[in-house]
Amino acid sequence: MKHITYPIGALLAMSLAPTLYAQNGDAKAGAQVYYDYGCYGCHGYGGYGRKDLNDTGSAILVNEEVFRAFLRGRADVAPLLPVTDMPNYPANSLSDEQVRDLYAYIRSMPPNLPETGGVETFRQILEIAEQPYRND
Amino acid sequence: MSKEQSSQEPSDHEVKVGRRHFLKGAASSAAALAVAPTAKAQNPSAFAASYTAPTYQQLQRDTGALTPPAIERTVVRPGSDLMVQVLKDMGIEFVAANNGSSFEGLQESIINYGSPPNKMPEYITALHEESSVDMANGYGKAEGKPMAVMLHGTIGIQHAAMAIYQAYYSGTPMILIVGRDDGFIQAHTANDMAAMCRSFTKWDALPKTLPECLEALQEAYRQAVTPPTGPTVVVVDMELQKEEARELQVPPFRPAVIEGIDVATARDIAQKLLAANNPRIATGSFRTPEGCAAAVELAELVGASASTTAHQGPMGFPQRHPLCGPGADINYDYVLGLEANSPHLSLQRPTVATLTAVRDTMGIGFGGLRDNPPATGRGAPRPQEGTVLTIDAQASIPLIIAEVSRLMTPEQRRRIEERRAAHAKANHEARMAALLEAIEQKKKGWDLSPISTARIYAELWPLIADEDWCLASPSSFSSSHHMQLWDHNKPYSYLGGQGAGGMGYGLGACTGAALAARERGRIVINIQTDGDFNYAPGSIWTAVHHELPMLTVMHNNRAWHQEFMFIQYMAGVRGRGTDRGHIGTTLRDPFIDYAKLAQGYGMKAEGPIDDPTQLAAALRRGLDVVKNGEPYLIDVLTQPR
Repeated sequence: MKHITYPIGALLAMSLAPTLYAQNGDAKAGAQVYYDYGCYGCHGYGGYGRKDLNDTGSAILVNEEVFRAFLRGRADVAPLLPVTDMPNYPANSLSDEQVRDLYAYIRSMPPNLPETGGVETFRQILEIAEQPYRND
Repeated sequence: MSKEQSSQEPSDHEVKVGRRHFLKGAASSAAALAVAPTAKAQNPSAFAASYTAPTYQQLQRDTGALTPPAIERTVVRPGSDLMVQVLKDMGIEFVAANNGSSFEGLQESIINYGSPPNKMPEYITALHEESSVDMANGYGKAEGKPMAVMLHGTIGIQHAAMAIYQAYYSGTPMILIVGRDDGFIQAHTANDMAAMCRSFTKWDALPKTLPECLEALQEAYRQAVTPPTGPTVVVVDMELQKEEARELQVPPFRPAVIEGIDVATARDIAQKLLAANNPRIATGSFRTPEGCAAAVELAELVGASASTTAHQGPMGFPQRHPLCGPGADINYDYVLGLEANSPHLSLQRPTVATLTAVRDTMGIGFGGLRDNPPATGRGAPRPQEGTVLTIDAQASIPLIIAEVSRLMTPEQRRRIEERRAAHAKANHEARMAALLEAIEQKKKGWDLSPISTARIYAELWPLIADEDWCLASPSSFSSSHHMQLWDHNKPYSYLGGQGAGGMGYGLGACTGAALAARERGRIVINIQTDGDFNYAPGSIWTAVHHELPMLTVMHNNRAWHQEFMFIQYMAGVRGRGTDRGHIGTTLRDPFIDYAKLAQGYGMKAEGPIDDPTQLAAALRRGLDVVKNGEPYLIDVLTQPR
């Protein structure tokens, strides 16, 4: 298929951070899987989205085997109403190698959580909230 | 004939020109065209090859060279002048339209009648009827009163239909004037034009005489603003627009009379509010800004804490008012619901769902408006807890205030003052705690590229907090971060969603809100999703043309993201992989350059911006332009949500 490469640079930037968990996969290849399979749709381009992936402590991400079992074991019954839940990924749609690479990439995502006090915008927002109410 | 010959010496039959461009040239050389009605005077290469040249007769008419047919009398006081006078009397500020021959009489009166002409109402040039109605929707939500829209016959109604439908769901008052010219293009006329949208409009009329027409326009206003509020339709025949009115006088306008509760009920409510140790006022969306002010007055008078929906939609209780919040004690012993649910008593005006039996004569049964709707699905009615009086809360509050004022004892007054102070302290503490918690969420991915939607809202807030602002775009697809970060203290702070979830609403609605804003020294913020933008981008031109103070920040995730996620799940269910989920759900190959697109419409614009550190400066530049009375667009590449 045709690969859209424009966000991959941004994705790869995330893969340089040290990780806590051992991975056998190729984070660079995993970044491409992450994009091609639309994982960013719910998890954001950097792991923050409707469901965060970065450093969440999720048991699903504790190791590659658990992660793979999670992907393979998703619901396979079509709900009556549209949902945006996590899709199912049987082996014929996402290979073990792709899962390995994807896991390596996800585990490489660094947290991106600045200190509140270190962001001028947040300080300003808090200052505004401290001001007395006026509605003129 | 060779291509070269074709482009240099077209015959009358072969010439292909863009009509608007042609007319621009024709206007400056009308005399030449009058004697030589070919395209030789033009440069054919400048025109798109797919357009048919106007006929000689059309050109003569459009350039003013053709004298209208002689008539027996000169129309010195056309009926449409009186129609415009009716609109003036009712305070209609704007009439939006994409021009159509069936209302040319009325259009001519709007732009030429009165002193000054084209003012109250001002003709707003829209590029699509859907945009016209969306503008009226945005304006109506912001101001709680109607603006008008003109629609050209059957085709105008159909272009506008989805926007009317959404306004109906939102209960937005507006007056739709449909031109009808039975003797002209047959496909553009019909016996009962309003039937095409009767099931999703509140009221309609097809007046047969000019006096009836003037009355109908006035009644359309009254019906639009009387609960259940909504769009109304008057079909206006061309003959009535062009008729000589002679000595006919415009009837004086009688405002709508909107009923509230009776004195006995008001007294009962007042006694309960005064007797309660910890009363609460749950508020929803009032009809007009006066309703919000009245609710504040009542809450202050009785020292009740108040809930609000101001962060979810227009006409809400000011969110940062000291009484707004959970209050010092969440064990409320009497809750009065004003357009909101209550476990005790609530006053709620009827919605358009009550019109179904009368208006849905075809039995369409629109979801959410029909009898016995399913209990599931978005928009399904919520169960009521306590007693509900189906009556307008806004019209009821003054009587409650009067009764409270009459019944209140000095001791009660003292306790109320203490309670107010306690609530203010508690609500401020609750606000700060909620804000700190929200910031912890909003800072996730703060420095990532593409830019997080939270960062857009966060960076905007300090820049507009001291301005008079209106967030007119629906925010659910950009995760509604303003709800936690911004203070929604005005009736128009946030105008809410589309109404019926239809896309294409945002830009038009923001443009309509910006019409109101332009007259009132306000600015409009439009966090514009890319999918929504592309349905009817022409409002960009309208905003430029009418010099509207509107900042558009593109939430450019290059997709219809909700559908992207739906398709992904569906592909997963079927075990076929999500790697083709982008087909039909994304806007790639090519990416759309919204800054260039806006610039093409004449709007100042910049982007795409994907570096989060560049965002705040761009927002400042944009706001500087907007505060100067011009619209501005910033294309921001964003995270999906």
